Amino acid sequence: MNVTITVNGEVRSASVPPETTLLVLLREHFLLTGAKTGCDVGDCGACTVIVDGKAVNACLMLAGQADGRTVTTIEGLATREGLHPLQKVFEETGALQCGFCGPGVIMSSKALLDEIPNPTTAEIRNALAGNLCRCTGYQKMIEGVHEAAEMLQSTTTPATLATKTPATPALAALPQR
Amino acid sequence: MKRRGRGIASMWYPVGFTVAANPSGAVVKVNEDGTAVVLTGTVETGQGALGVLSQIAAEALGIAPNDIHIVSGDTDTCPMDTGAIASRTTYITGNAIAAAAAEARDTLFEVASQMLGVKTSQLEAKDHKIQVKGFPARSAPIADVALRAHLVNGTPPIGSASWNPPTVPLDPETGQGKPFGTYVYATQIAEIDVDDETGEVEVLRVTASHDCGTAINPMLVEGQIEGGVFMGLGFALQEEILFDKQGRQLNPNLTNYIMPTTLDMPVVESDIVDSYDETGPFGAKAVGEPSLVPTAAAITNAIYDAVGVRITALPATAERVLAAIKAKRAMEQKQIPA
Ligand code: FES
Ligand code: FES
Repeated sequence: MNVTITVNGEVRSASVPPETTLLVLLREHFLLTGAKTGCDVGDCGACTVIVDGKAVNACLMLAGQADGRTVTTIEGLATREGLHPLQKVFEETGALQCGFCGPGVIMSSKALLDEIPNPTTAEIRNALAGNLCRCTGYQKMIEGVHEAAEMLQSTTTPATLATKTPATPALAALPQR
Repeated sequence: MKRRGRGIASMWYPVGFTVAANPSGAVVKVNEDGTAVVLTGTVETGQGALGVLSQIAAEALGIAPNDIHIVSGDTDTCPMDTGAIASRTTYITGNAIAAAAAEARDTLFEVASQMLGVKTSQLEAKDHKIQVKGFPARSAPIADVALRAHLVNGTPPIGSASWNPPTVPLDPETGQGKPFGTYVYATQIAEIDVDDETGEVEVLRVTASHDCGTAINPMLVEGQIEGGVFMGLGFALQEEILFDKQGRQLNPNLTNYIMPTTLDMPVVESDIVDSYDETGPFGAKAVGEPSLVPTAAAITNAIYDAVGVRITALPATAERVLAAIKAKRAMEQKQIPA
């Protein structure tokens, strides 16, 4: 079957077998490998993308179901001016460790912030409940979503944030032996 | 009804085993532009090891972490490393890198001592310069010193070192010796609610205080502690591999092997104890695995505090906790004299 979706602002089509999932369409036909194949059965959230404004598990949606819709993947977040505030904050605060869950967590967070620009901690926890992370304990992600919400609401643009201090301090204060 | 409880648990954890050879090697090369290349056999798995190792090399050379280019985990080019295991990377690989960087720096000192007309012992590497201690204005940029080392002195500033925790074999009679390079310590406190009608445990807050030696990167130490508490919480309450009689796993999916989600995780307050270990790089020890050691004990102690039952088999699922509460009630009823 023929599937046409608008992905990250670009209209793209592919001819795929009907059982093809949206995740396989994105990863194998469009070579957008940002969304990860964690479990492929809807348990882990590593494959999360945004379809018509809603965060969905791309492994649970057929490519045919996405026909004619608008899909945003992690590859669609950064602009020429720099990373999306969520990506920037996650990078600077060490919110991710191995990073495998990251694209999914960030897309779930983006869908949340698009809907609720200033979410409570409970709303963030709810929005991320379907994104499993084996490494971090989620705390810095939850704090990071709050911080990104503030950045998105302030007048500061990502371009000026790009010049903020780097994450790794020079550590001039390390004790010497 | 929900009953509140608090539990505390402490642990020590050995780092840098000495029962077998446990070395890491490193090569540090200072470039003519004042940056440096570090070769290490260890690998990054997300914990931030390469960031910490860059900081160690940068600190030893007096340059910035961003000036360090790390080549890691490539057996074609990198020296041997026992592995990103046993919470040993900062301590052992860090020591190897600090020693290799110091060797490269010593070459820079030799060259700079001629340029600045002082003894090498009076020099220090700081702020991208080799400078005279106490007289930072008398200095030469590291880039210039490195270039001169190559082109004039013919002694390129390259250091290589390996570090293996010093061994003291165990005495067969007394069992005494030094089986590990160093030890880390931690105490965690869990505050929980137990529903005494369902047995369900909710962890509300965990405070985790860790002695990891110098915290070379406190943000990453926090990340390790938060991740460790999360794994300890799963171990305490949720995670269990179930087998049938044939040994086949009954719960091979994440729908039935339950690990904590954002809704299960409490707020973790990390406290990094001010400490310095003489044997570690810039005083650092370790934090990885130790971060989850006391969590389950703190949580099960909190269960005892809340509802008076000792859970001795993990995970403390709602079923197990409720069964223990019921058994306790039955015991108490028996004991009431007629
Ligand atoms: S890969 Fe889709 S939920 Fe795990
Ligand atoms: S950072 Fe490793 S799974 Fe989330």
